[in-house]
Amino acid sequence: MALTAQELVDMLSSLTLFADLTRPQLEQVAHKMTEESFPVGQRILRQGFTGTGFYVILDGEVAVKIDGEERARLAKGDFFGEMSILLGEPPVADIVTTRQLHVLHLGGPELEGFLRDHPQVMYRMLKAVALRLRNASRWRS
Amino acid sequence: MALSTQDKADALAAVPLFAGISAESMERLAAVTGEQEFVTGQFIVRQGQVGTGLYVILSGSVKVMRGSEELIRLGDGEFFGELSVIDQQPRNASVEAAEPTEVLALASWDLLALLESDPQLALNLIKGLVARVRLAVDELAGAQLGH
Repeated sequence: MALTAQELVDMLSSLTLFADLTRPQLEQVAHKMTEESFPVGQRILRQGFTGTGFYVILDGEVAVKIDGEERARLAKGDFFGEMSILLGEPPVADIVTTRQLHVLHLGGPELEGFLRDHPQVMYRMLKAVALRLRNASRWRS
Repeated sequence: MALSTQDKADALAAVPLFAGISAESMERLAAVTGEQEFVTGQFIVRQGQVGTGLYVILSGSVKVMRGSEELIRLGDGEFFGELSVIDQQPRNASVEAAEPTEVLALASWDLLALLESDPQLALNLIKGLVARVRLAVDELAGAQLGH
């Protein structure tokens, strides 16, 4: 299901990651990123293997699996793929769709430039990553 | 010993967290950080308290503790205390000097102002956090395999 440009911008404005962007900035984001859809049961990122991208979930749900064990579910407004891009390493988890998934995709090499161009998005991402680190620490305890 | 702003800038320039930030940011950073010294066994941050700053180790080393369990040791050029600054939640671990240790402390409001003005610093910080998530995940996987 492809959205009109207008619908896409409306949807982006409702996501936390893009909450601080102006309308023209949201239009830039919509232009820069590509809409993609995946059926249920599809593995989008594979733990330990190369092939990366940054994904923001518009609709649907994925499971985060580490060594086959489910650790988290991600849904609308959540994102994934940034870890392996920023570290320059293979994905740390499998990402498998549990509901029909509609995402925005950005190629791995473009992520750093994208974040530099949109500091507000980076700051939101920083908060989300901090939360993720707290959750990861909690798993250990 | 009192460090000059230039001494602090030189020390901070060697810290990966601050690699590639603008000269202007580095100057502001050096001006707002303060040096603090801790003796062996002294707490630098305590679990459960809301954080007021980020710390960069200039010399010495620290133990990151959850309760009585040592999670990791950090040394020269490494940083801690960032989570609490970013999300304003209580500290999730205590940090104790493992030997005489000198740190540069950066107050949370100064860090947040710098993050807003210099995207490179925010990017470096995200990379640092992501590397720690990765470490936690790897340790989790290792623990499940019985290591």
